[in-house]
Parts: sequence; C-alpha cells; structure tokens
Amino acid sequence: MSVRSRRHRRRRQAAIKAVLSLIVFVGLFPFLFMAVTSFKTNQQYYESWWLPTLPLHLENYTRAWTQVRPYFVTSVVVAAAAIVGALVLCTVAAFVFARYRFFGRNVLFGLVAALLMVPGIASLIPMFVLMRDLGLLNTRVVLVIPHLVGGAVLGTLLMKTFVEQLPQELFDAARVDGAGGPRLFVSIALPLSLPVVGTIALVTVIGVWNDFFWPLLTVTENELRTVSAGLQFFQTQNATEYGPLFAGYAIASIPLLVLFVFLSKYFLAGLQGGLPGAGGNK
Amino acid sequence: MGEIATAAVEDRRGAQGRGRRLGPDSRTGRHGQDGRRRRRTRFPWYAYLALTPLFATLALFAYYPAASGIWHSFYEWRPGFDSPFVGLGNYATMMADDLWWKSFRNLGFIFVFGVTIAWALPLLAAELIISLDSKRAQFTFRTLLIAPMAFPGVVTVLLWAAMYEPGNGVINRVLRGTGLGFLAQNWVGDPKYALLSLLFIGFPFVAGLPFLVFLTTLQNVSAEIFEAAELDGCGRLRRLVAIDLPLMTGQLKLLVFLATIGVLQYGFAAYLLTGGGPDNATQVPVLRMLGVAFQGSQWGYAAALSTTLFAMTIALSVVIVFVRRRGDADVRPL
Repeated sequence: MSVRSRRHRRRRQAAIKAVLSLIVFVGLFPFLFMAVTSFKTNQQYYESWWLPTLPLHLENYTRAWTQVRPYFVTSVVVAAAAIVGALVLCTVAAFVFARYRFFGRNVLFGLVAALLMVPGIASLIPMFVLMRDLGLLNTRVVLVIPHLVGGAVLGTLLMKTFVEQLPQELFDAARVDGAGGPRLFVSIALPLSLPVVGTIALVTVIGVWNDFFWPLLTVTENELRTVSAGLQFFQTQNATEYGPLFAGYAIASIPLLVLFVFLSKYFLAGLQGGLPGAGGNK
Repeated sequence: MGEIATAAVEDRRGAQGRGRRLGPDSRTGRHGQDGRRRRRTRFPWYAYLALTPLFATLALFAYYPAASGIWHSFYEWRPGFDSPFVGLGNYATMMADDLWWKSFRNLGFIFVFGVTIAWALPLLAAELIISLDSKRAQFTFRTLLIAPMAFPGVVTVLLWAAMYEPGNGVINRVLRGTGLGFLAQNWVGDPKYALLSLLFIGFPFVAGLPFLVFLTTLQNVSAEIFEAAELDGCGRLRRLVAIDLPLMTGQLKLLVFLATIGVLQYGFAAYLLTGGGPDNATQVPVLRMLGVAFQGSQWGYAAALSTTLFAMTIALSVVIVFVRRRGDADVRPL
C-alpha cells in the first residue's frame, strides 16, 4: 500500500471515529446530564445548567436514597422470589422434557412454548381481576407472580434445549452406578445448567426492574412499589428539586448498570429474550 | 426409576421420527427391564408428577387469565357481581369507538417512524463500526453505543421528560442559547409535536435490538465479499444497497415483524410522558384499554379490547414462526 493511500485510510478511520463519537455522545447525553445535575443544588443548576459545578452536593444522594430505598428493597425481594420460584418450576420440568419420553410430551411442551406468544399486556386486565379475587392486591406476592410465570416459561424452553445437548454418556454412566432420576437431575443436569440458571436470573432481574404497568396498577402502597413504578411517584414529589431528583434516577439505574458492565453479553441476551448468542455477541 | 430417553440423539434425527418414537414401548427393549419396570414405563407417572407444579402454576396464572379475558369479553363484566351476557356488544362498542381507532392511527405512525427513521441511524452506526480497522475500537464503540440499554426504561423516559420541559428543559435552553429561540416549543404539551416528541425518546435510537442485529449480520459477512466488492470499485453507498441490505433481508423481515408486535404493546413511555394527551394526540391502544378498565370500570369492554390486541399479536406471532422457519435469522421472537 502506498504512503498516500495509507494516510488516506488513516484519515478515513479518524473521520469514522469522530462520527461514532458524536453518536455515542448524543445517545449518552441524557445520562451524563443526569450524573452532572445530580450533584447540584437548584441554584447551581440555574447558574450553570450544563457544566459540572463545585462543591459536589453528595447529600442529594442520601436524600434520594431514603426515598428510593423501599422501592429498591421491594424490587430486590421481588426479583429474588421470582428467580427462586421460576427456577424451582422450570429446572425440574425442563429436565423431564429433555430426558424422559412419555405420552403427550410434545403436546405439553407445546403448551408451554405457546405461552411465549401471549403478550403480557393482553392478559393484564383478567390477571388484575384474578389478583383482586384472590385478595393479593397490595402485596409483594402479586408483584412476583407475572415474573415467576414468565421466568418459568422462558426457563423451561432454554433449559430443555440445554439439557438435551448434554452427552447421553454422562447419564448412562451415572445410571450404571445406580443413580435414579432425581439423582441424575440434582447431580448432573442441574450443576451443568448453571449458565442457563444465570441467564434466567438475569432476565428476571431486568424484567422486574423495567416492569411498569403491573406494579403501578396492583400496588398503591408506597412502601411496596418497585423501582419503575416508584420512580414515577418519586418524580412527582421531587419535581422542583433537580439535584435529589436526578440522584434518585441515578440510584435506580445502578443495579442494571452494574450487571451490564460485568455481564454484558448475558445482559444483552436477556434483553433480547434470554438467548446468549442471540445477536448480542459476535 | 424411570428411563432416561436418548432424547438428544433422537431429536437430532429430525422432526419426522419424533412423534412415533415417543410411545413408551419403543424403549422397553433397549433397556431390557423386567416386567415391573415395563409397567412403569407404560405409565410414567413420575414424569407427570414432576411436571405438575409447573402446569398448576401456568394453569392458574397464564391459561386461566387468558381464557377468562376472552370469555368475559362477551359479558358486561362486573367482577364480584352479576355479569350479564352481552354477546358481541362489547365488540360493537369497539367498532364505534373513535378513540380506539385513533389510537391505532397513532400506532401506525409510531410503527412507520420506528422502521424508517429509527432504523436509519442504527444502520449507519453498524456500517461505521464494521468499517473500523481495529477490533478494539469496534468493541469500545459497540459497548458505548448500546450502554443506554442498561438504564431502566422509566429513567430514560423521565430524563427525556426533563429535557422536553418548556421552561427549563435542555432542548429549549439550547435552542434559546444558540439564537434559535423561535424554535422552542412546548414539546409534549402541544398536540402538533407531542407524538413526535414521544418518538424521539432515545434518540439516536442506536441502543436497541435493530442495531445489534444489523451489526451481527454485517460482522458475519465474509471479508472476501467486501474485498471483492472493493476490487471491483464498489463504493460504500453502492455496497450498502447492492450487498449489505440484500444480505440482511431475512433479518430485516424478522425485525419488521418484531416491531409490529412490539408496537401493539407500546404504552409505558406514552403513559409517563403524556398520559395519552394532549387532546389524545398520543393515545395508544394499551392506554385506551387501561383507561376503559381503571377509570371507566368497564371491565367487559376492556377485556374485549385486550382480546383484540391479543388476537392481533397471535396472528402476527404465527407469521413470525412461519418466517423464522424459512429464514436463518438468529433472533428469537419475544
């Protein structure tokens, strides 16, 4: 390659990077703005609304935290309960679907898979009435149920595919050693499926964190709100004080952000429906 | 206990053989069990027992609500009281519900915007990224571009709401500060701009599934194709039209269907930012349905609306499955 074309190439690369940087900046701007403003008092904000100012007002964060904490706690509790519940239901079922053959297996599995097509929003009304009939409104249980069900359906599908791909020799060997079905599940299938378990957990956390209408409609008690529904309430309360308001938004963003930083590939798979390798990775 | 099926092996043989082979008899010979075992094999109660918790849960919290919604869409549903049967009455109401149909007009606009303008920038970004020589730079930009996906949706919408504020909002301040003050608007409060403002949430729209799909597809194209194109003097734009887009047709089809289904469920951003207003300029079906149920307490009518949305989604999902069978797309419709 000649010197000129190499230089031309380098210049073109620089131009591409410049355009990409601009897109990145525009995309991240609201979040940068949130971070900068969250350390300001209203006065600082009015005087210099786009530049960072000193001193940093960390007390915005303590103030916001006291308000956001209950939502945080609820979201964590709900996510944990939904993960445990979904895993209990789906791991056993997926193992049975993958490794046993019995009459009606395909039909039953089809019944589970078909639920993937049912949009959550379409059964929201009857689901709400059902919860009201069961007397579950304004409890944490009502928040868990949709995520438990969703996690169990998705989990069954993902797990089944995964367990099917485990080599038959493993199971045969254990069987020769006298292991029964439950033992095969606990000692072989389950430990090997930990990646899928992790994916289900991540999908559930993202789902709970982003779910909006369900907690908004089923829970009116402030202490029981999840992060997404709580933030709306938080917003109306703090609408005039930008510092604490944006600090609250920042706090609410931290868990997903941390997951994204450390589990980027699986996080993206989660947003795309729980399949690692579904477009997120190369 | 029970027989471990060689399901993995079996399934790899393809779908035709599967149905037949499921019969319990096909397996008894293989394991050579005694009579007691064989009887168990005929009725593998343990398998059904293990599936019971899952199906009990799904029956109560998935099948029942769906069925109940469809059932009650034919009633004047008053939960806890007598619900008189009204036949197709609710659906007749729906046909005459101007607001409902207007909300679909908005949805149409949202869809068209979503698959054109909101895909152009991700496509551009994906093309730019694969044009970078350094793998490391590719990775860095990719990560930074999708980082907004890691923020909760509610935070994103509320931040944009703050940016749209007529007085103190960033957008109007920037416009005034740069001498373009005459362009400043009451963005979400003016029926003329409300829907557009709603759609611009998340600009430049790169943090999303389309971008990831475009990028993956382009990265999977073999380098030889691009090299050959370059040798033939094929310019960048020409390559996009002649090579990249045709290669993406399968994925594009799938994305269009996913967008269609996604748009039917569109609602929370509109609820947060505008509440469907002003003057119903941003009304969408989901908001109309929730309004009918929770403000109007017309549960039967709301059930009819949700059944309609449900039917539309199912119809489209079936199309997706159909397309997915044939295409080689690597994205799961969800």
